[in-house]
Amino acid sequence: MNIYDIVFYLFAAITVLSAFFVVTTRNIVYSAYYLLFTFFGVAGIYVLLGADFIAMVQLIVYVGGILILILFGVMLTNKITSVEIKTGSVQVVPAAVGVALLAGILMASMVDTKWRSVETAMPSATTQGIGMLLIQQYAIVFELLGILLLIALIGAASMARK
Amino acid sequence: MKEYFKNAWSGLFTVFIGMKITFKHLFVPAVTIQYPDERLQLPERERNRLYVNMDDCIGCDQCARACPVDCITIETVKGVPGEDVGKTSNGKRKALWVTKFDIDFAKCCYCQLCVFPCPTECIYMTDVFEFSELKRENLIYDFATLSLQEREEKKINYAKFEAEKAAEKAAVKAAPVNKPVDNQELPKP
Amino acid sequence: MIYDFFFKLTGSNFLADVIQSLLPLFIFILPFALFAVLFERKVSAHMQDRLGPMRVGYHGILQTIADILKLIQKEDIIPTLADKPLFNIAPVLVFAGSYAAFAAIPFSSAFIGSNIDLGVIFIIAASGFVVAGILMAGWSSNNKYSLLGAMRSAAQIISYEIPTVLVVLSIIMITGTTNLLTLSEMQTGHFWNWMIFGGPQMGLAKFIFIPIMIINFVIIYISTLAEVNRTPFDIPEAESELVSGYHTEYSGMKFAMFFLSEYANMFAVSAIVTALFLGGYQSPVGYLGNLFGAHWLIPIEQFFWFTAKGIFFVFVQMWLRWTLPRLRVDQLMALCWKYLIPIAFVNLLIIGLITVL
Repeated sequence: MNIYDIVFYLFAAITVLSAFFVVTTRNIVYSAYYLLFTFFGVAGIYVLLGADFIAMVQLIVYVGGILILILFGVMLTNKITSVEIKTGSVQVVPAAVGVALLAGILMASMVDTKWRSVETAMPSATTQGIGMLLIQQYAIVFELLGILLLIALIGAASMARK
Repeated sequence: MKEYFKNAWSGLFTVFIGMKITFKHLFVPAVTIQYPDERLQLPERERNRLYVNMDDCIGCDQCARACPVDCITIETVKGVPGEDVGKTSNGKRKALWVTKFDIDFAKCCYCQLCVFPCPTECIYMTDVFEFSELKRENLIYDFATLSLQEREEKKINYAKFEAEKAAEKAAVKAAPVNKPVDNQELPKP
Repeated sequence: MIYDFFFKLTGSNFLADVIQSLLPLFIFILPFALFAVLFERKVSAHMQDRLGPMRVGYHGILQTIADILKLIQKEDIIPTLADKPLFNIAPVLVFAGSYAAFAAIPFSSAFIGSNIDLGVIFIIAASGFVVAGILMAGWSSNNKYSLLGAMRSAAQIISYEIPTVLVVLSIIMITGTTNLLTLSEMQTGHFWNWMIFGGPQMGLAKFIFIPIMIINFVIIYISTLAEVNRTPFDIPEAESELVSGYHTEYSGMKFAMFFLSEYANMFAVSAIVTALFLGGYQSPVGYLGNLFGAHWLIPIEQFFWFTAKGIFFVFVQMWLRWTLPRLRVDQLMALCWKYLIPIAFVNLLIIGLITVL
């Protein structure tokens, strides 16, 4: 067990535990903040997998953007509106069955698959490769996504002006 | 469009003008002084702590009556004939022993009204303004020059004299018993 | 390089890692915060024709140490109705966010916390934690002023991140790298190779770049200034309106952590600006180490140049603080969305066209 394993288990524990608390905690603001640690743990695991660009984008988009948006929403609506936000658990039995099924499938596929366990080199930086792929092989998809986001942006702005 | 760039430019440019001004002030010598080390010259007629020159005080009580906040307390005892109460600096004979001259600076409003009525100009403002205390009682200043025993003595003397006089005047009546002197709390100076 | 040194010294990967990651904190952030607080007080005092702290030590140089001692001794007050766990975590999170940024800052060619490929982007990502921490502090204080300050702060940081990222993007387009060490290495030589003067390449493109880069520099400076919530953009802690924003309820060491992270942030953004536009740790005139043939001197000189440039920009931040009044919220947003972002976009387009051609 070297230092990377310890770090991996640390991040994995952070991710799983905080994800668990996100769904179990009663306080909606707490669950938003547990989400922060979930994102952080996932980013850490990405880094350990050698996907540094994805990790950074994860942090920027999820922590810096989406989480802040959620927090804004939760904080502004939590106490001001008279509507009680439901934070309890409903339909425990079907959910448990679903989770058990999903976990079973995942475990089965993990055990059954013959993983290629080849010694891999220390992953190098991925940014350049991703950039090349984005503007060469997947240029059209990339542009389409850009247009989609632009449309969403304009739509949001026009809705906000009404 | 032209307006837009003009705005942007003037916004940036005026910031630089402001920065130039503040930068100049970096090298302007400080206008403040390091107070306890250096002091400003106080104005000529500043009003600060009072001082009473007891050699000149004739115990006329005018300052106490002039005081709008009643911070001056004066008690006097008449001198017994034949006793030398003293002279003021301009040669007047004093008639009263000042057994109490307290000024409570916690009350004093530094209005200087007590200074003007004084016939001998013995109460006046000094330039001392740093006399803060941790206890309010310490702000009561005792200006009377007589020692505590002397004060008692003067009172008793005068009471005796009064008693003798009364005894002489009304020989029929029994001599009045010496009134016990109030054991007033005399604040320490 | 410094990692190798510690690796040889301790003989353990792990220890070398730990020492290297703690180094910026102990040799830089803490002394810098001590220095910067005093510096700020002195600069503000002299700009207002005062003297500032003069009592502790010669011209008050030990004032901050005395203040820190005072802060350590202070009672740690937690409001009764505050959300205790979040209230306690928030300063740590804010400080962790600003401390994380220091991992990717290249202090000299020999010393960079972690030479990651995505240096600039990492610093931007780390600032997300600061936003979350500020929101946490504001909300958990259970105080309307704190919450308002936190909301303003988050809104401000998020909207001013856009011009920052656009300018960073234009730099990335020119240099083709996001690694701050490589970026600094590219601007080697003399000061005309700095990005603000068009970068290392020669020719016509350089001269077209110069005005654009100067405009970009102004944009990124303004927007980073807004990101660290300094005057003229200090509406999150506007004293006259919000007491002091999200750290109103904090006292003692927790307040000191906010304070520390504010000054660490000030240096971090100055360091980004320096690394992107002003050659990072490169000397403008050449190195004494080269002159005397003493090559071990060069990293130390680079460290000196980097901190000197960084502290100069910190000084400019303070200078602006005592020059400009606070912006209104609408002015703040107008500046960002009507001026900085469109201009940055146009610059990005022009730079893109030039680099493609």
